Amino acid sequence: MLGRRIARHGLAMLATVLLGGLLSATLVRLAPGFGVDEQQLDPHLNSESIQALRQARMEHRNIFRFYFHSLQRAAHGDLGTSISLGQPVSALLRQRAPLTMRLVGIGLLLSWAGALAMALSAACLRVTAYDALTTAISGMFLCIPAAVLALLSVLWNVPGALAIGLIVFPQVYRYARNLLAKSYSLPHIITARAKGLSELRILFWHVVPVAGPQLLALAGVSVSIAIGAAIPVEALCGLAGVGQLAWQAALARDLPLLMNLTILVTLVTLLANSGADVIGHMLRGQEA
Amino acid sequence: MMDVQTKLAGMRTAARKAITVSIVLLGLLGGSAIAQGGELRFCLRSEPKTFDPLKVEDDASVAIRYLTGGVLVRLNRQTQALEPELAQSWKVSKDGKQITFRLRGGVSFSDGTPFSAEDVAYTVQQLMDPALHSPTGDAFRSGPGNVDTKIISPTEISITFPAPVAGLDRQFDQVAILSAHSAKKEMAVLGPFMVADYKPGTSVLLKRNPNYWKSDAQGRKLPYLDSVRLDIQPNRDVEMLRFKRSEIDLINSLDSEYFDKLASTSPQLVHDAGPSLDSEQMWFNEVAKAPLPEFKKNWFRSATFRRAVSEAINREDLSRVVFRGHAQPAAGPVSPANKFWFNSSLKAQAYAPDAALKALQGDGFRMQNGTLIDKSGNAVVFSIITNSGNKYRERMATMIQEDLQKIGIHVNVVTLDFPSLIERMTQTFDYEAILLGLTNVGLDPNEQMNVWLSSSENHQWNPQEKAPETAWEAEIDRLMRAQASSADPRTRKESFDRVQEIAVEQSPFIYLVNRNALSAVATTVQGASPVILVPQTYWNAEQLSVKEVKSANHTGY
Repeated sequence: MLGRRIARHGLAMLATVLLGGLLSATLVRLAPGFGVDEQQLDPHLNSESIQALRQARMEHRNIFRFYFHSLQRAAHGDLGTSISLGQPVSALLRQRAPLTMRLVGIGLLLSWAGALAMALSAACLRVTAYDALTTAISGMFLCIPAAVLALLSVLWNVPGALAIGLIVFPQVYRYARNLLAKSYSLPHIITARAKGLSELRILFWHVVPVAGPQLLALAGVSVSIAIGAAIPVEALCGLAGVGQLAWQAALARDLPLLMNLTILVTLVTLLANSGADVIGHMLRGQEA
Repeated sequence: MMDVQTKLAGMRTAARKAITVSIVLLGLLGGSAIAQGGELRFCLRSEPKTFDPLKVEDDASVAIRYLTGGVLVRLNRQTQALEPELAQSWKVSKDGKQITFRLRGGVSFSDGTPFSAEDVAYTVQQLMDPALHSPTGDAFRSGPGNVDTKIISPTEISITFPAPVAGLDRQFDQVAILSAHSAKKEMAVLGPFMVADYKPGTSVLLKRNPNYWKSDAQGRKLPYLDSVRLDIQPNRDVEMLRFKRSEIDLINSLDSEYFDKLASTSPQLVHDAGPSLDSEQMWFNEVAKAPLPEFKKNWFRSATFRRAVSEAINREDLSRVVFRGHAQPAAGPVSPANKFWFNSSLKAQAYAPDAALKALQGDGFRMQNGTLIDKSGNAVVFSIITNSGNKYRERMATMIQEDLQKIGIHVNVVTLDFPSLIERMTQTFDYEAILLGLTNVGLDPNEQMNVWLSSSENHQWNPQEKAPETAWEAEIDRLMRAQASSADPRTRKESFDRVQEIAVEQSPFIYLVNRNALSAVATTVQGASPVILVPQTYWNAEQLSVKEVKSANHTGY
């Protein structure tokens, strides 16, 4: 049963990644400004050199041929060469991924720690004023655009990971709070409370098993939110991660780089979501 | 309450002054003895695309080439005169096709490989390889045929080009000599620094070249600095913040807004070297096949219309409001900063909306309810495209919109990201007018050859004309070719002066302002003397030194 579930997820992932890659390549190809190079405005270049520049960009005009060749090369471990940076895409990803992974990892830890602490305390205490306060705090962070949080982190010289954490925090808090509040209002938990069970016992024996699978699903979603947040944070804070690379690639219409980045982000997101789903399924199986 | 505030403000001012005075005093005390060692830190605004000096095209790679590359001759960025470097002397033939260098002896590359004429021959052959498509190489390509290098002795070489190259010796300022034998290839250098470490996306560390051949007047080995750290930082706000926090020592091409902010608190840190070579300009689409209505093409192809638009733009206001006074109204294609080639008889176009309207009425236009109407009854409306994210150009476009409204012309301002703008400008020709800047690095008119020749790709208002479409373009073609084929500077100057005059008379480009060369240099940096030419602040990098001062930050905050 679990094996079939994993296989189904694997197939869905493969299909989504292939389709996502093709769609992103098509969108970049159709974007205005595709196939032009800023360098061709250099007055030192003669007509032959400008034509050569144009010709180099023309190679990717036929999107289906480009995609097919890219997949063929990728099967041999070659992800192509970035047009704007002139370096192999695989090398660029290797150089930049560790920083993004660290930023996203720390950001997720911070956001989840903050959101769970506030959501749990609000659900346990059931004090209207406190609940309103925590909701107002998360609402405030929800209203502040990611770019503003990134700029503030630059201005106040705080780590970019904190900005990512603050961007993800309200999303996690709102779901977690509703989920926990709903779990605490279930009849058997009200009965357990009436019988005088300790809060810790109620939490770990009755609330977590109910809310756990959905929190796991939320964890999967929060990974993609954090990766999305890494783009403006890295671009504005000048952090040399995959997010900054994606930003530069988009501005330069760098087809090979953008396509590989889309595939990578799709893959990570799907892995996180599928992982959460499979673990949730395993937990439910153990309960049954 | 008021008193307390006043006292606090007074104390803050006194503290700031005290810090400023102490920094200046420290600078003065240390001025007598040049500090040796230390690290100079500044930002590159993009990732360097290459460390191969022959393939350099982007600003970041140009900066690294300047700091690491050894050249035969160097254009002194302060005096604008050519000075000997690896070549002790040189001679250009009368026909401008051949140059002979006598090289310095006893010089070695950073890895110890000896330098000789063989390296120069190797570099030139590599540079002139047509498959390289190098902007530096293309500057030498004035005609078809091969370049011939003849090694006369280990310290003498003659290079012959198939056609005359105007300003031939000056072009070698951009040619960093490679080693023909070193196993380190382009990483073996002859300049003051060498690449020691590169962290992609983060920084490039340059270390002192232990084999650098130069010494100062006291016989001390140059450069004074131990290292130069170049942090890759595309965000200019972050660059400014890092300067304020003393994390970097220099900022080149400072924004006028930042300049004024810094000047208000720490005037000793900022430098306005006056008008730079860069110009801001707009032009109309004159391409015959452009997807525009015929009546609009007729306006844009009329010199009277273009001149009238030029007259109706208040350049003084653009300089004062947009650039906060750190720009000068432009007189023509060449900035007055280019001492030799600027045509001093040209003056910046005065703001004359009445004269502009009169000229347009003379050409059949008329005013109707505050709107300018052409002969066929079409209201004069066009759009100006500029690149999004450039606040100065966006503001300039808005001010031009207001100025032209006064003579009944309605302007729509459109901002596009750079790739979209280039596509419209060079491929689809789907635009009416464009407002952009031209960054001039070199001084010689040949640097602008591909802008002025009507057959060129970069003849922006009407690229790749099969034959000149107007008499004045034919005249510019003739004059540009004449100056390029002459070795006599006076004859060349006469030809190029006339090109500048025609450019102003016909206004295919409407020159707006020349931005000033603004920069910021920390007081800890000794020997800095910012100039208008690139690289403004570190043009004399080998003679710069950094003194360690335990100060919280440059600005005294």
